[in-house]
Amino acid sequence: MALELTPDAPSGAATRFKQIADQLLPYLIAVVVAFIVIGLVIGLMGFDVLTAYRTILFTSFKSKNGFVQTLLKFVPLLLQALAFTVPLAAGKFNIGGEGQMLMGAIGAAIVGIIFADLPLLILLPLVLLASVLFGALWGAIPAWLLYQFNMNEILTTVLLNFISFSLVDYVAVELFRDPAAGHPTTVPIGAGGELPLLISSPPLHSGLILAILVAAAVYIYTNKTSAGYELVVTGANPRAAGVFGIPVRRLFFASLVIGGMLAGLSGGIEVAGSHHRLIEGMQSNYLLLGIIIGLIAKGNNLAVPFVAFFIAILEVGASAMQRTLLIPGEMVFIVEALILLFVLLSDVFKKR
Amino acid sequence: MQAVRKTFGSVVALNEVNLHINRNEIHGLLGGNGAGKTTLMNVLYGLYKPDSGQIRLDGQPVEIHSPRDAIRQGIGMVHQHFLQVDTYTVLENIVLGTAIKNRPTMQLAEAEQRVKALSDQFGLTVKPQAMLETLPMGARQRVEILKALYRGIKILILDEPTTNLTPQEVDSLFESLRVMVSQGMSVVFITHKLGEVMSACDRITVLREGQSVLTLDRAAASPESLVQAMVGDELDVADSLLFSTSKTVSDPPDRTQPPILAMDAVTVLGDNRQPLLEACSLAVYPNEIVGIAGVAGNGQRELAESILGLQAPSAGRISIAGTDVAQTPTVKLLEKLVSYIPEDRLQDGFLPSASVGQNLILGRHRQEPYSKNGFLNWPVINRAARRLIGEYKIRTLGPDDTGANLSGGNIQRVMIARAFSFPAQLVVAHNPTQGLDIPSIEFVFSKLLAHKAAGGATLLISENLEELLLLCDRIATLYRGRIAGILTRDEFDKYEIGRLMSGARIDS
Repeated sequence: MALELTPDAPSGAATRFKQIADQLLPYLIAVVVAFIVIGLVIGLMGFDVLTAYRTILFTSFKSKNGFVQTLLKFVPLLLQALAFTVPLAAGKFNIGGEGQMLMGAIGAAIVGIIFADLPLLILLPLVLLASVLFGALWGAIPAWLLYQFNMNEILTTVLLNFISFSLVDYVAVELFRDPAAGHPTTVPIGAGGELPLLISSPPLHSGLILAILVAAAVYIYTNKTSAGYELVVTGANPRAAGVFGIPVRRLFFASLVIGGMLAGLSGGIEVAGSHHRLIEGMQSNYLLLGIIIGLIAKGNNLAVPFVAFFIAILEVGASAMQRTLLIPGEMVFIVEALILLFVLLSDVFKKR
Repeated sequence: MQAVRKTFGSVVALNEVNLHINRNEIHGLLGGNGAGKTTLMNVLYGLYKPDSGQIRLDGQPVEIHSPRDAIRQGIGMVHQHFLQVDTYTVLENIVLGTAIKNRPTMQLAEAEQRVKALSDQFGLTVKPQAMLETLPMGARQRVEILKALYRGIKILILDEPTTNLTPQEVDSLFESLRVMVSQGMSVVFITHKLGEVMSACDRITVLREGQSVLTLDRAAASPESLVQAMVGDELDVADSLLFSTSKTVSDPPDRTQPPILAMDAVTVLGDNRQPLLEACSLAVYPNEIVGIAGVAGNGQRELAESILGLQAPSAGRISIAGTDVAQTPTVKLLEKLVSYIPEDRLQDGFLPSASVGQNLILGRHRQEPYSKNGFLNWPVINRAARRLIGEYKIRTLGPDDTGANLSGGNIQRVMIARAFSFPAQLVVAHNPTQGLDIPSIEFVFSKLLAHKAAGGATLLISENLEELLLLCDRIATLYRGRIAGILTRDEFDKYEIGRLMSGARIDS
């Protein structure tokens, strides 16, 4: 590819706008095509396609409840996506977000139950700190195996997910079982460990603000600091990074631990904000959606919150569609997968 | 070849190129990087299909669709990177792919006779039963040429054949080529080295930007006219460093001062405990350029990386301006003491997925003004990047452009810009001019000389001997990880260095 442009091409607001538009276009096409494909399937199944579209896209905006539901979905999705993109920046794949989330939730629940009597100002920070530390531990294990023995982090992070499932069972069944619940669930955490509500009806907890602040911090870290620059360089070319004095292996380690902290926090916020207890299965499919968000955003941490919000809209729309139209909610998962597929395909075409 | 045109996407690699090769001649194909020399020959050899144009052999138009067709028409090519099977013998490599008699038993006596006859006839000495992996570069090249001759070719194309050969090997190659053309063959000799063209070729065609600029008999050619044809109007040849006929006036360094780089009996071991660098002692003084000559893979990389603290020596001591390298993290060395231009720009220096701006600050990213209190100052970085892009003529959209959009030569400019964007006591430059066109090479040379004039020390590791002879105050030659000898400027002799490069063992 020859660039016949002068070195000092104008970078005014107009070119800037055009650049952004050029970048957004493939996404728009991907979304439209994905919806057309899924529309065909829904139509063939004998459902009303237009009503389905409307439900998927607009449930979030039709009622206050829908919007709050969307924001509540957005919080764990955002943090899970960041738990994937931060290690990705260093070229490492963290597929252990759900295990780290559950560990974070376990940490939050244990602290919240044992110290249930402490006041809000002390207990809430402790609960959240515990979730971050437990998540960090679950990220540090694969990080250490990678650092010390060069074990592939994809494998180890995935396998640790399974261990975390058993640990949730142990905590929710053996340690702090709530006998009233029919499902493996702990007793609730102390009231002081609950995140304050921003709106009381429908309830919207302040984890939203926390998540947005964390996302901003992650963006500043990866894009505006020297340390974050080293992370990005390591991911771009570890050998060159090493030649220019960057401690590559230490950064691999750090990136996986940070990923664990972010995922752990998502578990802590779910416990302190939404459920107020540890529930088996609370990880939902946040891991997979987080990875999809991270990949659609192509690892760009500025784009992650926007993509995460869009996916949250689709997820809320999916549940509504399943409830009201009896169309399987998995259809929306297909939409999300297709969007990712088309976004990746657009890269291939651009290169030609 | 007439009016040959070849495009890759929107890039016109060859634009209506004409080339006439006579019988009994060595034809030099001269041009800078990216001029289209290799592309043109790949068309002739059937590797590329031209978009338009005609190839005629003895007046008859021919269609060449594959190397097989080319060989059938009597055209053979020796590529810059040999395509050989290391674990086969010389003879097996030569007959590979031909119709072998006695295929099941591989009784190759007859073939061996033929190879021996060819090798005697053209002075291409090889041992047919030698295992290929044991041979030095020069012998491997002779195998490659014999491979072509064995297939009965009449036109031999050599792509940059003198890279990595010692001067002695170059001379014997030219003698063999002379014998070939005296017996009715034609040789096309692709090169960017002017001296070789002037000494070896009968006629010369110069390519520039995919066009044949001119064709001259050697008698009618002068170095100045060829250079001007190669570079067009971009360079004032009369003032050029690169082609200065008188040697660059060199201000001799004062070696009574303490050296900037001091290496004392440094040994670096490889994975299998074999020494890759053995007992190297070397000093580079202020105001001095020390060259490292040697065939690639004789410890050059280990030398550079041990100076940067990337490979820890098992014995010996390295210090830069009094700072012990073993005690100092590489990041600190890069801050004030060393600038590094790595050999393999793609592997060791470049970030394809990062922006041009991010690429330009690598190694300086914790230093003011780029960074303050751990935060990057992007406005300053972008301003600096724009200045470097302009000053070093990096062809790119700007600091935000993705690195992967840059071509090889432009990537090299990024390496150079990065190295010279901050003052340093010592510059370690490993093949800094590879992949650059002539004006850029000129620019790199002037940067190196300016660094010297400012009192800096330079370690210039290069496979290009001419470059070393032109710029250096002293030249050390590496052979199998050892410094085989150090010559000062008044002792410079290409052949002496060649002997040192081959371990003082003269290949016949």
